Amino acid sequence: MSLQVYILRRLLFVIPLLLGITVVSFLIANAVPADPINANLPQNVLNDEEIVGAFREKWGLDKPPVEQYFTYLGNLLRGDMGMSIKTRKPVIDDIRQFLPATIELSTVSIIVGLIMGVSFGVISAVRQNTIIDYIVRVFALVGVSFPVFVLALIGLSILHAQLGWVAGPGRLSFVAKAPPTVTGLFTVDSLLAGQWTTFTDSIAHLVLPSLILGSYVAGIIARITRSSLLEVLRLDYMRTARSKGMRESRVIWRHGLSNAMIPVVTIIGLSYGNLLAGAVLIESIFAWPGIGRYMFRASTSQDFPAIMGVSMLIAFIYVVVNFIVDILYYFLDPRIRVA
Amino acid sequence: MSISSTTSSIRESGWREQFSRIRYQLWRNPLVLIGLVIVAVWVLVAIFATTFSPYEPLQQNVNNRLLPPGSESHLWGTDELGRDIYSRVLYGGRITIPAGIAVIVIGSIIGTLVGGIAGYAGGLWDELLMRVTELFMAFPTIILAMAVTAALGPDIRNAIIALVVVWWPSYARLVRGLVLEIKNNEYVDAARSAGASGTYILFRTILPNCLAPAIVLMTLDIGNAILTFAGLSFLGLGPEPTSPEWGRMVAIGIDYFDQWWMWLFPGVAIASLVMAFNFIGDGLRDIADPRLR
Repeated sequence: MSLQVYILRRLLFVIPLLLGITVVSFLIANAVPADPINANLPQNVLNDEEIVGAFREKWGLDKPPVEQYFTYLGNLLRGDMGMSIKTRKPVIDDIRQFLPATIELSTVSIIVGLIMGVSFGVISAVRQNTIIDYIVRVFALVGVSFPVFVLALIGLSILHAQLGWVAGPGRLSFVAKAPPTVTGLFTVDSLLAGQWTTFTDSIAHLVLPSLILGSYVAGIIARITRSSLLEVLRLDYMRTARSKGMRESRVIWRHGLSNAMIPVVTIIGLSYGNLLAGAVLIESIFAWPGIGRYMFRASTSQDFPAIMGVSMLIAFIYVVVNFIVDILYYFLDPRIRVA
Repeated sequence: MSISSTTSSIRESGWREQFSRIRYQLWRNPLVLIGLVIVAVWVLVAIFATTFSPYEPLQQNVNNRLLPPGSESHLWGTDELGRDIYSRVLYGGRITIPAGIAVIVIGSIIGTLVGGIAGYAGGLWDELLMRVTELFMAFPTIILAMAVTAALGPDIRNAIIALVVVWWPSYARLVRGLVLEIKNNEYVDAARSAGASGTYILFRTILPNCLAPAIVLMTLDIGNAILTFAGLSFLGLGPEPTSPEWGRMVAIGIDYFDQWWMWLFPGVAIASLVMAFNFIGDGLRDIADPRLR
């Protein structure tokens, strides 16, 4: 199958899914609350007939549900997700402001998680049923049992407050000045502006949160790597490679791991969803000005439009990341190309 | 990892036999044993919380605010309102354990019904039900749960409803796969030719055979449900702020970062319970899927 056909096929699957997400969001936003007006407007304007009327008009609340959905979808396509009750700004503007910080954190975290997860998984598989394998597995089990927000607090209190090994909360130190905005990613922007100290400062601030978020997904990546590699290790071509006199490390890395990675790639896509959810839980602890902290504040202050906007956005990102993973598959797994 | 494929080997002999084998294996696995003991301790603590706790979980004493652990008469210290952390943590199990179990039980029942009907009826029903199931799986768990709780209004019941909404799809998928496998067996044909109705065949002949894999998934899952519930209440979308719930206590503790006992004890309580369930679930999975051993 050619790449174009493959992408087209995946798109046929993704587009209905994205539309479906809007349907589910619409149902939650409009059908579940006892009174959507109450849920979406600040308390102090509820008696203002004009504002309430305008809101009803804009979202078509006096029309039948199907028409309401299309009004909702139309507004959404124009980027209108309603007004945040707390910030009094359009939700889309808030998201635009906060998203880059989360993208930066979650991208670094998934890399950290991959490095940790794959290395532990390989060690565990190669030393199957030894004490090392056992320790790694128990460690992974204990790690995934801690709520990510508790891990964040423990990490912050030991590694930052007690030992001072890593930078504390925030994206930059108080003295550092944010680089001029190009991408919104401080690491990239500071490099573009040639601000070397800002760059190292932003990296220092990324270390702890990405370590925590990374270990949050490393457990599952390690588990999949281990079981996938174990399965590959007992295949005939591994024996062939060894009998050719190839070095063991090369057998594992070249023949074993490259074939064992295919299921791991799937998990990366799925883990990205976990990672974004984890970001929602720990960003407020790290005073990380991303959509996670925005969502946290929204949920503690019952800011319904903001919660709906962010959840839909995260579901969208999740679907798109998995779409990209599917495309990666095409390059990783030659079987798709010949099928 | 698909449990449906990995556990198919279990179903070949009678499930009664299988359960006794599983029981034998469980006792040989030390981690499972540790998990079972921890869970048992927490369940007992939750049941007898009134007996074990020195104070009422809501009892305030402003004179004793923020006492560190080991203070006179407050083993684990006190919080910002002078409430006894130890008593609050003990009472926390009363909220979290039933909530986790409720989510898994209700979620698995709904999922089993949906998956069972989809797999057995096939055709248009299958398409329709499974597309809906996939939709719910497109959201990361806690994100969808947050949206649902926010829409319903935050309290324990609504948090459980929200978690059920995000939990049933995995069971629907698992059970559908199993039903598709089972429904071509000869004994199903036999039941049909004996004149049994569709409902009878589905509920009495097919679904009982899906029990063992569903139970493996439930055990693997309960830790996750507890973790997600704690996350929801950490975000203020669960029990009311004053209630002695672990996630809620950690959230309050953020503002008192230096008073580490305020967030560490409830945090470790969540972790110990989830870890115990993960130990049990992991052991069960090893038994169900010998390839991973």
